[in-house]
Amino acid sequence: MSEATAHFGPAKGNIMERKPLVRNNRSMAWITEHVSAMIESKTPIWWWVFTIISGAIATLVPLELIYLVSTGVGVWGLNNPVFWAWDITNFVFWIGIGHAGTLISAILFLTRQKWRTSINRAAEAMTIFAVICAGIFPAFHVGRFWMAWFLAPVPNANAIWQNFKSPLLWDVFAVSTYFTVSLIFWYTGLIPDLATIRDRAKNVWRKYIYGVLALGWRGSNRQWRNYEKAYLILAGISTPLVLSVHSVVSFDFATSIVPGWHTTIFPPYFVAGAIFGGFAMVLSLMLPARWIFGLHDLITTKHIDNMAKIILLTGTIVGYAYTMEFFIAWYSGNPNEAWVFQFNRLSDPYIFSKWFDSGVAPYWWAYWAMFICNVFSPQLFWFKKVRTNMWAVWIICMVGPNVGMWFERFVIIVTSIHRDFLPGSWGYFSPSINDILLFVGTIGLFCFLFLLFLRFLPAITMFEVKAVLPEADPHYHGPDAKKGESH
Amino acid sequence: MKRVVQHPPARETGRTYWRSLDEYSQTPEFQGWLEKEFPAGAAEFWGDDVSRRSFLRLMGASMALAGLGMSGCRRPESHILSYAKTPEWVIPGKTLTYATSMPRRRGGAPLLVTSYQGRPIKVEGNPAHPAAKGKADLYSQASILDVYDPDRTRRFTKLGKASDRAAFLAAVDEAVKGAGNGAGLAVLSQEFNSPTVNRLRGELQKKFPQITWTTYEPLAATNAAEAARIAFGEGKALRLNTAKAKVILTLDADILGSDEGGLQAVRGFANGRKLADAQTPMNRLYAVEGRYTLTGSCSDHRLRVAASRVPAVAAALLRAVTGSGPNVELPGGVSASWITEAAADLVAAGNSALVVAGAGQSVAVHLAAAAINQALGSLGTTVEVVSAPSPSSVSFLDLTGKIREGQIKTLFILGGNPVYNSPADLNWSEWLRSVPTVIRLSDHEDETSALSTWNAPLAHYLEAWGDAVLEDGSYGSIQPMVLPLFGGISAPQFLARLAGISAGEGKDFVEGPELVQDTFRQRAGSAGFDAAWQKFVRDGYLEGSAAKPETARVSAAALASLASVEIPKPALSANNLEVAFVADTSVDDGRYANNGWLQELPDPVTKVTWDNAILISPTTAKELGLYQATENGKETTDIVRLTLGSRTLEAPILIQLGHADHALTLTLGYGRTQSGRVGDKVGYNAYALRTSAAPYVITGATLEKTGHRFQFAITQEHWSMEGRDIVREAPLEHYKQNPKFAFAQGLESHAKPTDKSFYKSPPFDYEKFHQWGMVIDLTSCTGCNACVIACQAENNIPIVGKDQVAKGRELHWMRIDRYFSGASKFRSDNHREELPNDPEMVMQPVTCMHCENAPCETVCPVNATVHNEEGLNVMAYNRCIGTRYCANNCPYKVRRFNFFDYNKRQLDSLYLGPLGEAGKPDSIQMQKNPNVTVRMRGVIEKCTFCVQRLETAKINHKVKARGAGDYDSIKIPTDSVQTACQQSCPADAIIFGDLSDPNSRVSQLKKVDRNYNLLDYLNVRPRLSYLAKVRNPNPKMPGADKVGSSLIHAGAHEGDHGTGHGVHEDGVLGHEPAAPGKEHGSH
Repeated sequence: MSEATAHFGPAKGNIMERKPLVRNNRSMAWITEHVSAMIESKTPIWWWVFTIISGAIATLVPLELIYLVSTGVGVWGLNNPVFWAWDITNFVFWIGIGHAGTLISAILFLTRQKWRTSINRAAEAMTIFAVICAGIFPAFHVGRFWMAWFLAPVPNANAIWQNFKSPLLWDVFAVSTYFTVSLIFWYTGLIPDLATIRDRAKNVWRKYIYGVLALGWRGSNRQWRNYEKAYLILAGISTPLVLSVHSVVSFDFATSIVPGWHTTIFPPYFVAGAIFGGFAMVLSLMLPARWIFGLHDLITTKHIDNMAKIILLTGTIVGYAYTMEFFIAWYSGNPNEAWVFQFNRLSDPYIFSKWFDSGVAPYWWAYWAMFICNVFSPQLFWFKKVRTNMWAVWIICMVGPNVGMWFERFVIIVTSIHRDFLPGSWGYFSPSINDILLFVGTIGLFCFLFLLFLRFLPAITMFEVKAVLPEADPHYHGPDAKKGESH
Repeated sequence: MKRVVQHPPARETGRTYWRSLDEYSQTPEFQGWLEKEFPAGAAEFWGDDVSRRSFLRLMGASMALAGLGMSGCRRPESHILSYAKTPEWVIPGKTLTYATSMPRRRGGAPLLVTSYQGRPIKVEGNPAHPAAKGKADLYSQASILDVYDPDRTRRFTKLGKASDRAAFLAAVDEAVKGAGNGAGLAVLSQEFNSPTVNRLRGELQKKFPQITWTTYEPLAATNAAEAARIAFGEGKALRLNTAKAKVILTLDADILGSDEGGLQAVRGFANGRKLADAQTPMNRLYAVEGRYTLTGSCSDHRLRVAASRVPAVAAALLRAVTGSGPNVELPGGVSASWITEAAADLVAAGNSALVVAGAGQSVAVHLAAAAINQALGSLGTTVEVVSAPSPSSVSFLDLTGKIREGQIKTLFILGGNPVYNSPADLNWSEWLRSVPTVIRLSDHEDETSALSTWNAPLAHYLEAWGDAVLEDGSYGSIQPMVLPLFGGISAPQFLARLAGISAGEGKDFVEGPELVQDTFRQRAGSAGFDAAWQKFVRDGYLEGSAAKPETARVSAAALASLASVEIPKPALSANNLEVAFVADTSVDDGRYANNGWLQELPDPVTKVTWDNAILISPTTAKELGLYQATENGKETTDIVRLTLGSRTLEAPILIQLGHADHALTLTLGYGRTQSGRVGDKVGYNAYALRTSAAPYVITGATLEKTGHRFQFAITQEHWSMEGRDIVREAPLEHYKQNPKFAFAQGLESHAKPTDKSFYKSPPFDYEKFHQWGMVIDLTSCTGCNACVIACQAENNIPIVGKDQVAKGRELHWMRIDRYFSGASKFRSDNHREELPNDPEMVMQPVTCMHCENAPCETVCPVNATVHNEEGLNVMAYNRCIGTRYCANNCPYKVRRFNFFDYNKRQLDSLYLGPLGEAGKPDSIQMQKNPNVTVRMRGVIEKCTFCVQRLETAKINHKVKARGAGDYDSIKIPTDSVQTACQQSCPADAIIFGDLSDPNSRVSQLKKVDRNYNLLDYLNVRPRLSYLAKVRNPNPKMPGADKVGSSLIHAGAHEGDHGTGHGVHEDGVLGHEPAAPGKEHGSH
């Protein structure tokens, strides 16, 4: 990994030099060729294999939804008192994953983090697909899907308006706004690259389709100026949305009175968790893509290192939040609140139940899975060796945040409501096969859409990567300029 | 008899317009209907192919009383045409009520039945009858469902094959014709308690002097009757008068839970516990019992002792009270001071004391109880001797003997189900086959029907004329609400035909009330008959006919016999277990097995639905290596093999806290093989172990593990309150010292709810509108479940089936939470820990609290659940999309979700949604209350405070007050409306009413010092509050300091707070429950 700085020679005088964002002095033409080749080359076998497999899994989604809507929510394992379980867990999980894309695009854009350029396109695509997967659950988890339009503020014969006190309604607006803005933001960013693909196209259909999608982009100065403004405005609009969506999602729980849900720490904790999970998912997808497409020069170890640091930071914030919940539960003196943390979540059969002299928490395994995956596993990123080892990063992301964040939502939702105020109404939730198949189906759908994206759209923002090349700097005088120092 | 020919069957799909008019009016049957009050066609539902359409068509015809049926529109058929000839009293959309009685094992239940356009839809107690006072127990209330049970016998069968009515009648006539003096004839009847049946029986015996008549009930109180005969003479019985009792002691007698006491015992007991304040006198209850019963739950002192050891306790008590009687050693674990102090308390109460022996106990125990009552002077006050004449019958054993000897050629079986419920040692199913002709009238084509030569439908009590001796001995009437849906024949009709009484021209059976009228005439005289009969039918009973208390003394012979009676001293151990057989709280002796409401009703103590269990104490279970564990969140238990003599039974155990050690309780009535689609293959059949020698209690059983596990559908798996202030409770002395103890126990005594809100809602208008509220008195609630069934019947709550209950999806709007208190904290679901052997049990009915700050309302995104101006939290089902957020946010978990289309779900098949067969049997739908929406899948439902009753009451009152001006401000008179649960509560523990009316009972009770709000610290401001439970322990009794004290914290805890519990800066003791406030509300 040291060859990146090799051409700077011995460290003398160059100690503060940043690592370049594109390695091996790749030219602009090389970038165009290389990224376009992902779309233009012959369809590789592996793509067919993965796309067919994930597409087949994705068909579970419509099948499960047909069964669900035709038969009733009872096909899931829900019960009284656990009226929400995998449905809302999956919703929050996917919507959380949908955070990294817009965060990378918008917030890192506004803060001039140049390293975002090679990963933002794919991260944004991932956001769109994750929000699509997320949206399935709240839409279809309702008992009467065909009446879900009651959520929309359209005048109706009953003259009943929506209840704007309900966080679920806020959710509807927050998620739909987020999806719309993310989609526009993503599409706007795609236009110059779509035009590149159009210009390179040799096939009439391809020319025609990408031509339509490119919206007549000619790369004129005026177009660039408008584009830059629009992109900046959209980034500005997206930035608060990154924070608001997951805050609003957290209100679904925080504004309730259920012990374990009713927690003021939720908005920042959810946002941190979403960024945590989202970055992990970006890495989970981009590392294999980088390897397959040979994008090592564009997505460098620096990118990965940065993202691993963000995962370490947000994972630690999440760990702080988990711990703070315990403190507040104790400090509030509310026994119902304390119960949830102590006896619904923490009490494992080996240590804590013995210490508390209590029964075993029915979902202790979920709580501990969450804690280990989300708080302990990212601590490995303190070590640079780990951060720069692609296999280590990928494995930690897959089994750490990706799994842990699903468990986090499961723990929050199910372990709080399965035993709340009145012990006489306590219950237990076990998923049915349909819970599982629908979730697996959305994973298939997500992968399927992402594979389509890799094949049909430029997965790396070519024009922005070019902008971070040294050559893009007006003061740049070629690789030899530094050596010469003789102006 | 032929089936009435209808026009060709309706096409299953497609539209059909006005097809019926001509076709109906052309048929001779139609012409016939026009002439009759009830169309005969309504009686013709039997046959194999009763389609939904023909059923509804016929029902429609009967409802419309020869109106015109209209079939085949796009929507499900409905008959909205007006009557061609309006029957008297019927106003479309209005209900009618009729008084009637339900024949029961120990005397009829006086009832009032609500009928809607010809369909009976709800059963309540007869308010005019002094024993019922408007109350009815769960069996009476649930019996309405049986009318529409599609599995009832609906055809005539010969040897199991479909036959017809004419052939059946010919066979009956043939059997009677050649009977001579009747030596070969026998009648085996269930207990109808009917004077008319008895009169016709006399007629039959006149015609056939040698006929054998046997009345058999598997759970008849034969020992009590025998003891009464020995003590007081032939035809006498004891009647409890708990209202006068200040100290009650029960010996294995569940006077509050089963029908051993009846509604009067519950009411009398509960009235003795209605505490206006700490100074109100309160009765005291001692319970001696093996299994935990509702009586034990309500008791102040409970002695946990196996049923076979109760005789020894009774003997010791007899000795302690009277100073004489057999001298016995007390069973192990029973402290002598328990007996002596209880006896001293009884003696001190004198004639206000009452000792009751249970039906399962021996004659000697009943005699001992009578002797104690006599010694206390309470004979004539708390327990009365009354005449209860019954014609003598051949015993079931003797009948079996005659059958064995081949004497019986023709056996008529009226009702009952002896093949299923006769003692196992008699081997009845074998002997029944040896009788040449068995002619049976049955509710269902059941186990006995399968072995009968002929089987015919028996009319439901709501379908035929009849009469009954009621609980209190008075003479009650039974009148039909609807013609027999499945062509049933009533017992009097059948007996009259056997006795050769003419049914009138061209009729098979007497169809009118003539048979009962003849009996009534004998009883009431023929002077002014018409008026007297009208009044009898209208009132539902003959006024002044109740049995009169008589002065009687226990005979000297009986007392003498007690001195020498042998008291059993069973040496119980893990290898010599006691087995006690008791009626199931849901299906009784098995007769209600096909009643879905009762099957799904949680047992009040175990909370098991759809099953019965072998109840066992925690210690004994541990000793035998049996355990109950939580596996995947579900309680599973061991299936065991129980051996008693030569018989064995495999059944699941259930660990019952508070059960006597080395004793097992088996509930009867399950394990039916031929009861119908609801009751088949549910539970195990405990009759398989029951013998004629020891029908109630037997020892010598052994038990071994099979290694298999079983999962019950239990509605409440968690039994501990975990130290929370849910059911607040204190002993009477503590209450006297701390009248506001209920607030000091609550979390809100530490943390007063704050009242800051973003949303200031308009206040409730107490001037203009009713403000509904409810109080439930935990001190007098016995947990009997009558309210749960009342709610289910009133509010069209469907059953969901065992699989759904096991998943936690039961739909009952009202539930009774049962907690065992006095147990340690935080240990209740860890099976490795010791379970408490002898905890106290408390009951808490929970239903929607109608919170003023309802947490469910704020979270509903579509405004489907909102408050109305009367303080009700109302559901708009049409608006609900089923996000279920409201249910998650409800701290009381009273909201229920329709996970499937339970009103369409078949219980006996997999639910396939629209792909599967649609619909429950249509007849079930006819029970539905037309004033309550039948909910579809995907919506939330919950208690409405019976809003339909409130609206009806308001409309009726406004109609009366028409012209008074401002309609909105007209209020109904004080306490003139009742919710269904309140209406049915025999203990009168549920009080509902208008909080804006200071004179209403609920307003008064909200001021009682024990009134508290559940989870008040959440500031949800519930409109339903509870009166904290008070127990009345005798301070001299062993363990008295622990009674009712589980939530009374020790002083050490108070030290933490400095100021102690409940005292705040302002010096006010505790936080008083937020009174439903004018100043405060949420819309």
